[in-house]
Amino acid sequence: MPDAAVRELTYGEAVKEAIAEEMRRDPRVFLIGEDVAEAGHPFKTLVGLVQEFGTDRIIDTPISEPGYAGIGVGAAMTGMRPIVDVMFGDFITLTMDQMVNQAAKVHYMSGGKIKVPIVFRTTLGATRRSAAQHSQSLHAWVSHVPGLKVALPSGPYEAKGLMKTAIRDDSPVVIFEDKMMYRVKGPVPAEDYTIPFGVAKVTRAGRDITIVATSSMVPVALGAATLLEAIGISAEVIDPRTTWPLDKQALIDSAKKTSRAIVVDEGYERYGVTAEIASVIAEGAFYHLDAPVKRIGAMDVPVPFSPVLEDLTVPSSSVVFEAAKALCGKA
Amino acid sequence: MPTTVIMPALELAQESGTVLHWLKAPGATVTKGEPLVEIETDKVTTEIEAPASGVLGDVTARAGDVVPVGQTIALIFAPDEARSVGRAPAVAPPPRAGGATAVPAPAATVKASPLARRIAQEHGVDLAQVTAAGGKIEKADVLAHIASEKESAAVEGTAARLSAASPKARRLAAERGLDIGALRGSGPGGAVLAADIAAAELREAPSTPRAEAPGVGTVWRIMAERMTASWTSAPHFYLFREVNVSRLISWRERASTQAGARITYTDLLVKLVAAALSRHPGVNASWKDGAIVRNAEINIGLAVAIDDGLVVPVIHRADTLSLGEIAARREDVVSRAQAGTLRPADIQGGGFTISNLGMYGVDAFNAIVNPPQVAILAVGRIADRVIAVNGQPAVQPTMMLTLSCDHRALDGARGARFLGVLADLLEEPLALLV
Repeated sequence: MPDAAVRELTYGEAVKEAIAEEMRRDPRVFLIGEDVAEAGHPFKTLVGLVQEFGTDRIIDTPISEPGYAGIGVGAAMTGMRPIVDVMFGDFITLTMDQMVNQAAKVHYMSGGKIKVPIVFRTTLGATRRSAAQHSQSLHAWVSHVPGLKVALPSGPYEAKGLMKTAIRDDSPVVIFEDKMMYRVKGPVPAEDYTIPFGVAKVTRAGRDITIVATSSMVPVALGAATLLEAIGISAEVIDPRTTWPLDKQALIDSAKKTSRAIVVDEGYERYGVTAEIASVIAEGAFYHLDAPVKRIGAMDVPVPFSPVLEDLTVPSSSVVFEAAKALCGKA
Repeated sequence: MPTTVIMPALELAQESGTVLHWLKAPGATVTKGEPLVEIETDKVTTEIEAPASGVLGDVTARAGDVVPVGQTIALIFAPDEARSVGRAPAVAPPPRAGGATAVPAPAATVKASPLARRIAQEHGVDLAQVTAAGGKIEKADVLAHIASEKESAAVEGTAARLSAASPKARRLAAERGLDIGALRGSGPGGAVLAADIAAAELREAPSTPRAEAPGVGTVWRIMAERMTASWTSAPHFYLFREVNVSRLISWRERASTQAGARITYTDLLVKLVAAALSRHPGVNASWKDGAIVRNAEINIGLAVAIDDGLVVPVIHRADTLSLGEIAARREDVVSRAQAGTLRPADIQGGGFTISNLGMYGVDAFNAIVNPPQVAILAVGRIADRVIAVNGQPAVQPTMMLTLSCDHRALDGARGARFLGVLADLLEEPLALLV
């Protein structure tokens, strides 16, 4: 038990362990996608799975996202528990009909007779020098759709716990992994555990300002909190972990406590996750706020290929630090 | 003629009263003698009855308003004259087209087109205020004037709400009764933030405590004012007596049994103080405008602690009441004092006050004279104490009395004689019969 507590895995290893454990536990679980078997996924997150589970359960497909997403939805409707691997989050544009019009709707349109226990596994995050078509964070799109649940693991511990919850959930779940975080290490218990959806985590307790951060922005927010601490501002960092279901009360309570809030998310700022969460806080904590709720998202541009420019489009710890400082009247 | 409803004077020294709430709404039909409005004075809350039958109207004092005594707060109209009922001032009907008198006289001398004149009339616009673009006022000039009036009205209407402040600061200011518009903000663009409210509160707290602050209600404020006035104007001196109350104790037991009611030491004290006052009327007096005025009746006030301060209900003509009657009256006024339902008559006319803190375990204390009275008796607890009896130490139940006197109306010898008679009565109540 003590050994398990200190064991460290990378984010990628945590994802793989979650999938492997669930596949061992439940024969209905299988994974389908591009380059997932022999190649072990371009991000090397699935290396070794095909050796253990065979090509019947780790299924390589041609480049055909709409097709294999449809296979996944059909398999889920008929009793399997598929994990559909969408290599880049940008490609969910291709799987949208299966996600939004099929997976999200069937349970309701069948009067609850049919369940669609499917997991769409995909990625978000820029700064990998992958250019505009492979660098977007489009989780706001699916968070908008009733019938879908959306998880955003912010570290190895969350990557394993949220993946296992997603696989066991009877509803369609879209899980966005931060592609820049696969090599980040962190403590991951060896024993079986899950992380409930809709329960935010206070990653760092603070007094003067709340920084709500998702996925890739949690480490950014923690970095800002360290900078803020040096100038006497105590920041609370809170990670919703799922954008739907959303733990509104935890966000409101934190903002009520500190009277100030910043929301940081790597999706485009306009019409984004930050807008939704800022609105939740403004409505729920209005009479406790001492400053407007500040949103910080990715710059509203197609992500540039130029590394210098690309880095500028993503919120950094110093950007969050400056914004927090200004909100606290220490500009 | 409608009948006026005025803020009544319920006490001699009352200058104003607070309207607590109206029991009848404007426009309601009221019957003479029916409770109409609840009024709070310095010491009591009471209902005012309708002085006439009719329709209530012209209500000019709202709940919470402090109104000088004698001021009209509403009218009661007879059924045939009930026309201007309601709070809003009568609005003149809008001038109609062709009306001859609607436009003020100067308009006749202003050059204006007939159409401009008609539009001005319809909108109640004074043509003298309208600027003409050309030689005379045209339709467009009047319309522009109306538009600009509307605009400035809108701007004025919103200006009051535009003082920048965070929602939290606004909430805190509202909770604390602070005017946020009067505060200087430290936020962006001078916006008032929560920290500014806290700072303002710190500044205000020592100098101007607000009347609404918890614990300082009307009763408390009046107590503070009267005690300060007494303490700073009446030269106090104090006389102390320790009395043996063993007989008083047995009297109380017998009296309770006889009366079939609970007789308290306070009741016995009222009875005996009344007897002592009848023998020393100089103590039952007032100091007024440099003269000593003796009271016609023996009316004894009892200091009663209530939730929001101190009140002194009065037992009138205490010298004429039996112990049972005193007890019944005392129980009635004390319970109503605690319930906040004392009537003005209950607290008026006191000539001497008894303050008994024995039940709190106090041995002895010095009370402050309750003006315009000239003396107050402070009563401590009954306890077994060692006293000399026939040259030997003995343990006896005793009580400590302190008589506080206003030296402008009493001197030591007169006070001492009164206290001596009272002490004798306490030690031998049978002397009442003599």
